[in-house]
Amino acid sequence: MSSSKAILKVFKFEFLRQVRKPAFWAATLLIPLLIGGIYLISFISSQGVDTEPTLDENTKVAITDEAGIFSAGMPFVIDGDKEVGVEMVKNGEVDLYFYIPADFAESKKAEFYHISEGLEIFNYDGNILKGLLSNDAVSRVGELDALALTGQYEIVDNKLTGAGEDANALGKAIIPFFIGILFFMFVALCGNRFLMTVVEEKENRISEMILTSVSSKHLIVGKILAMLALGMIQVVAIAVPVLLLVFFNRNNSLVGPILAMIEIDPAMIILSILLFAVSAVFYAGVCTFVGSLVSTARDASQFIGPAIIAMVMPLYFMQMFMMTEPSVVVQIMTYFPFTAPVALMLRSGFGTISVWEYCIGLVVVAVSSVIAIKFAVVTFQKNAINFSIAKPKFLKK
Amino acid sequence: MKNIVEVNHFKMVFGDKTVIQDLNFEVKKGEIFGLLGANGSGKTTTIRALLGLYAPTSGELLVDGKGYKPEDTEIKVGYLPEERGLYRKENVIDTMVYFGELKGVKDPYGWAMKYLKRVGLEDKAKMRVEKLSGGQQQKIQLGITIMDNPKLLILDEPTKGFDPMNRKLLMEIIEEHHKKGAAIVMITHYMDEVERLCDRALLLKDGTARAYGTISEIRKEFGGKSLDEIFVKVYGDQNEQ
Repeated sequence: MSSSKAILKVFKFEFLRQVRKPAFWAATLLIPLLIGGIYLISFISSQGVDTEPTLDENTKVAITDEAGIFSAGMPFVIDGDKEVGVEMVKNGEVDLYFYIPADFAESKKAEFYHISEGLEIFNYDGNILKGLLSNDAVSRVGELDALALTGQYEIVDNKLTGAGEDANALGKAIIPFFIGILFFMFVALCGNRFLMTVVEEKENRISEMILTSVSSKHLIVGKILAMLALGMIQVVAIAVPVLLLVFFNRNNSLVGPILAMIEIDPAMIILSILLFAVSAVFYAGVCTFVGSLVSTARDASQFIGPAIIAMVMPLYFMQMFMMTEPSVVVQIMTYFPFTAPVALMLRSGFGTISVWEYCIGLVVVAVSSVIAIKFAVVTFQKNAINFSIAKPKFLKK
Repeated sequence: MKNIVEVNHFKMVFGDKTVIQDLNFEVKKGEIFGLLGANGSGKTTTIRALLGLYAPTSGELLVDGKGYKPEDTEIKVGYLPEERGLYRKENVIDTMVYFGELKGVKDPYGWAMKYLKRVGLEDKAKMRVEKLSGGQQQKIQLGITIMDNPKLLILDEPTKGFDPMNRKLLMEIIEEHHKKGAAIVMITHYMDEVERLCDRALLLKDGTARAYGTISEIRKEFGGKSLDEIFVKVYGDQNEQ
């Protein structure tokens, strides 16, 4: 039998036996149901509550009101023109600056200037302006006010940045972070399955029969592919409801601005998807290797713990990953196979990695995946019939 | 080639323990061969090395002139190991079909159903393996072992745990395969089975051959004693030492 046929047979058996189990679907649908449940609760609890963001009392605001919609003498209305206001923001004299042009009634456009903090998610410029107008008890009553108060105008958001800062860091981070979250879901849902798929052969004492029917290489590769496919089904089952929720709430005051912020960098998105794929294979290889090493599920859980801790380690150093100049620790984590998947996802999210650095990290993870799978194959072959010996035998002849 | 199995200067060392020491024997095509010895004498280790489950420390172990690889469909080997198990949570028919597909059986479902009918388990086809008795599971394992009509059938303690009726059925099935031309290697402690069924035998002790040849040659070498008596004499000597 050819290699591909043998792998396909193993894949089919392993895939179908899992996908037919009610437990698989229960685990798969549980997370989307939880997401839906949480959304429903938050929706119900938000009814009747004013959730619009309010302006912090310490926030300094300046407005150039050429249209004259604010009453005279308001402290935040300045005499200077737009250039003056923008300069005030840059100098840090004010946090927010609005420019309301003279033709505001016709153009229905105002401009908003602020220093980007990189990760702000509320585009609350409109609410601030509305709030300021509402507080202006003596503001001019008329068409302009009504227009402003009902929010029927467009505000052009101008984020000001210093040298080397990214005005839309969050917008660029959203997609890589979303892929990163899906990867965590994948690990959480599939880790145990990867372990058990090889431990089961030993616990059921079926290794000898199976290894005289199919080579350990074909068996392990077939199993890994089946588990990856099952993992992908679960990830899709989580991602689709989330994306649908986002789609149906695209005009929501919270979701809308976030969607508007999303900046698509095709190269980074392709690399993120590739990283997800190779990281999943690497994780599969490591778990299968651990499963091949031990005799029982209990032993396996002891070994897999350090691998998972290493994988999430970059999260403990999150602040370091936000820095534009990567530290030595960040560099090591970027290219160390166990930490590289999460480190690369974080750095791409924070925009602190170049494409070529990302590619190197990707290659490191891809090569490590192949090595992990090879180790798993050799170890399974050597250790598969040590039914009662928990001690790793792979180093012995 | 006359021999289906050839073992030349096979040595196996685990850590600092030599389990098999310079073992040489062959199994001829179409014969029934008894591999005998007490527990720990090296029988199962030899079979595992022959089937590529262990890498020998030195020597060569050949099946039909080649090192055995499961993906090589030219050499069909059926192996019923002593350590037996099945996917406990799967149903009988799915398990049999899976192994049949791996072994390249053309219609594994049809073959499995026919076999289950023969061994009286057709009503258990959709049942989970774990719901079957030990004896019923052994019948399934035997079915998996023979389903691709192997040229070489290696049976490690095949009748262990079988009641007399099932033992008779098993012997019939083995006999059928022998008649079809398969060579059979039987690892057993039942000397009466060996005397009745086997053409030749190898008696192992501490990983070395203590008796090897046709049953009559072995008996002649030990002064016409029965295999039971020879076994006791070989291992009795060890106890005396």
